[in-house]
Amino acid sequence: MVLFVGKRLVLFGFMLLGLLTIMFLITNVAPGDPAKLMAGQNATQDMVETIRREYGLDKSLPEQYAVYIGGVLRGDLGRSIVSTKPVVEELLRYFPATFELVLVAMGLGILIGVPFGMLSAVYRDSWIDHATRIFSVSGVALPAFWFGLLLQLYFAVHLEWLPVSGRLELITPPPEPLTRLYLIDSLLRGEFDTFREAFQHIILPALVLSFPCLASILRVNRAEMLEVLQSDYIVAARANGIPAFRIITVYALKNAMLPTLAIIGLRFGWMLGSTVLVETVFDWPGIGLYAVQSALYSDFKPVLGVTLLIGFCFIFINFLIDLAYGWLDPRLRTQ
Amino acid sequence: MKKIVMLGLAAALLSTAALPAAAFERVGDRKVIVFGGRQQVPVIDPHVRYDWSIRMMQQSLYDAMAKYNGNPAKIEPWLAQKWESSPDAKTWTFHLVKNAKFHNGDPVDAEAVRYSFERGLKLNKGVAWMLKDVLDPSGIEVVDAHTVRFNLKSSYAPFISWIPWWYIVNPKQVKANEVDGDYGQKWLTENAAGSGPFKTKRWEQNVLYELVAADDYWKGWPQGEKNRPAGIIYKIIREPAAQKAALQRGEADIVEGLTPDDYDQIKSTKGIVVQSHAGMTTFGIKFNTQTGPTKDINLRKAIAYAVDYDSFVKVYNGAAILETSPFPQGMQGHVDVPERPKQDLAKAKEYLAKSAYPNGGIELDYYHVAGLEEARRIGLVLLDNLSKLNIKVNVTPEQWPNMVAKGSKPDTAPNMTSVYVTPISTDPDAVAYQYHRNAWGQYFAMSHYDNADVNALIDKARTLGKWEERAPLYAEIQKKIVADQPEVFGMIQNRRWAHRDYLKGFAFSPVRFTGEVDLYPLWIDAK
Amino acid sequence: MATDTTSAAPTGWRARHAGTIRQWRLYAHLFRRSFSSMLGLFLVVLFLVLAAAGPALAPYPEDTMGAVHLDNRLKPPSLAHPFGTDEMGNDILSRVIVGTRTSLWIGLIITGVAALIGVPLGIFAGYMGGRIREVIMRITDVFLSVPGLALALAIVASLGPGITNCVIALSLVWWPGYVRLIDSKTLALKEELYIEAARAIGARTPRILFHHILPNCVSPLIVKASMDMGMAILSAASLGFIGLGAKPPSPEWGAMISVARSYMPDWWWYALFPGLAIYLTVLGFNLFGDGLRDILDPKSRGR
Repeated sequence: MVLFVGKRLVLFGFMLLGLLTIMFLITNVAPGDPAKLMAGQNATQDMVETIRREYGLDKSLPEQYAVYIGGVLRGDLGRSIVSTKPVVEELLRYFPATFELVLVAMGLGILIGVPFGMLSAVYRDSWIDHATRIFSVSGVALPAFWFGLLLQLYFAVHLEWLPVSGRLELITPPPEPLTRLYLIDSLLRGEFDTFREAFQHIILPALVLSFPCLASILRVNRAEMLEVLQSDYIVAARANGIPAFRIITVYALKNAMLPTLAIIGLRFGWMLGSTVLVETVFDWPGIGLYAVQSALYSDFKPVLGVTLLIGFCFIFINFLIDLAYGWLDPRLRTQ
Repeated sequence: MKKIVMLGLAAALLSTAALPAAAFERVGDRKVIVFGGRQQVPVIDPHVRYDWSIRMMQQSLYDAMAKYNGNPAKIEPWLAQKWESSPDAKTWTFHLVKNAKFHNGDPVDAEAVRYSFERGLKLNKGVAWMLKDVLDPSGIEVVDAHTVRFNLKSSYAPFISWIPWWYIVNPKQVKANEVDGDYGQKWLTENAAGSGPFKTKRWEQNVLYELVAADDYWKGWPQGEKNRPAGIIYKIIREPAAQKAALQRGEADIVEGLTPDDYDQIKSTKGIVVQSHAGMTTFGIKFNTQTGPTKDINLRKAIAYAVDYDSFVKVYNGAAILETSPFPQGMQGHVDVPERPKQDLAKAKEYLAKSAYPNGGIELDYYHVAGLEEARRIGLVLLDNLSKLNIKVNVTPEQWPNMVAKGSKPDTAPNMTSVYVTPISTDPDAVAYQYHRNAWGQYFAMSHYDNADVNALIDKARTLGKWEERAPLYAEIQKKIVADQPEVFGMIQNRRWAHRDYLKGFAFSPVRFTGEVDLYPLWIDAK
Repeated sequence: MATDTTSAAPTGWRARHAGTIRQWRLYAHLFRRSFSSMLGLFLVVLFLVLAAAGPALAPYPEDTMGAVHLDNRLKPPSLAHPFGTDEMGNDILSRVIVGTRTSLWIGLIITGVAALIGVPLGIFAGYMGGRIREVIMRITDVFLSVPGLALALAIVASLGPGITNCVIALSLVWWPGYVRLIDSKTLALKEELYIEAARAIGARTPRILFHHILPNCVSPLIVKASMDMGMAILSAASLGFIGLGAKPPSPEWGAMISVARSYMPDWWWYALFPGLAIYLTVLGFNLFGDGLRDILDPKSRGR
């Protein structure tokens, strides 16, 4: 087991280095000059040079790469040229918002996906199954940005039930940070009004974000349920006269959950990527919005930082899933 | 069962969702004004960077020796109560007011002024370009605690026009927060050391910035101490649709950046006022006059005569005026140049026949900043207009930095680039210099225009002290530039804001940037 | 399934291919039985017809090439303009119809390029095994470790906006999926008896790859490509929405929505119809691909 974990760890490091290199190369083919932008419209050439020197952009590409890798090893992802602040500091500031959004979206996905996957499997090929199928494919097919806009317009602008955008009302101070997740912090601090406000703000973006993931949870759950329902022990249980409801919820669901959990893990990293769109629509101050804003200014250190962070989360989750499988299935360890 | 509880909980949370009714934010019995803007304020250091949102904050947190006010913009005494210059415009002496105080109680004295200018010049960022060619840090002289003298390297009449943009920082506070000789840059990024009417409070990047009024602002409040707001919240609202919704629901008291159609539509809404004022931001389609087909002046003229100028105004739903010379109408020294082209297809074809491409058959690039709606639409108008000359237009959106990088050299500058230019001061030199050979490499000089006569005239005009001597030179400069057609002279759009009718004290001044508002005189007149 | 169905001999074709025909009949029957598959087929056919006929069907074809009718701006849906007009006074229906062609190209090129890079790498990795496979798969994993959209965003931001750059970026992030798919399929096939047999009688590697392994990868490939068409179109539209997509005046759905969102909610039709077009197209390709998978590859249903 130790050897297995060790091997995976080496792989983990290798993947991160590869990711870093690829991203660095990609973001450096840019023809644009962010220094010029930040120096201001009327800046003279030597003013631009001042900024280029300050951000190390005057060095050759290999040198910049060496500096960057060195920095990453020390936990330094460079500085954003737009905000002048270290990227790490900004990621720490924006990540909790994204994390909270993804958590709630994931919760919604599970809450809707699992029961409907179950229903769909139990009533296979019925109208419920077809409707669920179209619904779940819709989840993947709906352009998140467009669907978000529609929901925003209907629920926020037209009905005025929910706020248009943001995490809290203007004047409401965020709860004293513990986890920096407003929903949790406000509960822990006993600020229930703040909690309600935060909940109202998160519901629409989380719903939009959850849709595609809901779809895959639903499908995997359905497939696994089908398989389990046809297995010998369920048939046996049925023959023994155990009520159908109990069979489905207790015996079958339990066994169908493991692959579902795996897909949830995989989808988590994917969701972090989709926040790019959802956060743009809902002005959600997370890393997705940060990446888009920076990309539009050709400010690449933040873009690089965000992609690395998402990639890191993704690889890390895969690593955990790998370990979990290795632990559950000893045959994999020797492979 | 658990699920039902959860759903019930969710329903309860939603149904009790009594959203705040249209009312203003308050602190105590004073109101807080909410400004909805699209652009963030990453840096507030007055000597490091400026754009409209940044400068709106800087103007609120800091004072300068003078301030632009009114329409047309005039320079008013502020931290300096009066100033005088030598006849050759080489030595300038400023006399400071005696009662000005920084927020921490330190007096604003001549040393603070000297330090602030030195800091601006040494950092060589942001505002430095305005004065670096004429002023050396050693040329700033503290005469006494309330008098400071600037000894310029050469005669420079427009010197005073830059003074309002050089804000005064408190040297003691800055020095106390210096890290590795950075002149306090790190600290001043999100902190202020000024004497302005407001102080910083909440600073949540990408979300909102909150200012609180300085209780005993040395200059007092124009709306009266009783009416002054408790503070200002600058809230980032990126989408025009969301901005409009926020204004309609009273969540924001004033917004910038709606679409022209939104302004037209919201104008008639009860309780909402639209401010629409001719600014000084000119729109031009710059030709590359050095390389490519547009090097040919006849082709440039042909294009200029083929353009439907009225649609430039229509793109803004009428809220714009056409340029009548390279200088905006609000600029000192502006003259109408009657020879400027108007749409005339016959003339366009005449010029085209004289050019190297008598039958058209060429394709020209038109670059605009990605995301700038109006510039994109003008590209489409151009595409439509030039199809009559059998010229194809390739409308290309590009990110600003990439576009600037391309446009900085004659070899890479696109055939046509649409550029908005806002002059930073009211002195005509600010506009004229865009057409000087020395401006090559700057974004507003993408046409790489070079006319020896014009260069000489500009050089001469900036050294003359008397306006009567300068004015005729600028008239001639404008005529000469129009004759060479380095760009299609476009329009000057109106600057627009929409605000609730209870928001009072709004004062427009054309020298401010596109969305920038002077927050100091604003107040809310309602119970 | 290993039979070659594409080469048609002039005589006795029916007799020689009776088995294949029977099989296809069964497929068709299974496919027809499923409502969602038929819905998918219908949407895909509709999309292809619109893309093929494009400008001929559009009521105002000139509006798709950047016409300007400033007096006719932002008109609500009416008989003359069933989908209304946009901010330049162009007919939205025409632009949506011609947009299908743009989307079709985007989808075809992205999936095509991705398959062209991914399939050879996948076969190679799976067949060779060992070190080579390890290296190829690890590089694939690196690309797979960042969600496609985030990676594409970085690439397009760096290359500059425009359809071509969008397509390049998305192709670059799309191929790893094909490597994974084909690699696992090849690994499984390699152990099959008939491949062992071919190897034993001295068939050379290229022959084995092209005649035995590749044809057997076709059905999962078709399924994946069909699903990917939809997803590629959706991703390109997403980049268009962020403002990094198609250049004006070429009609592209995502870019249309990107402009239209400033005109919400009062001019709702402007964003609604291009969005519906994206949704229905992607839905169609997904349902269609799903249906195909059910009959061609029943075991993996639901994955």
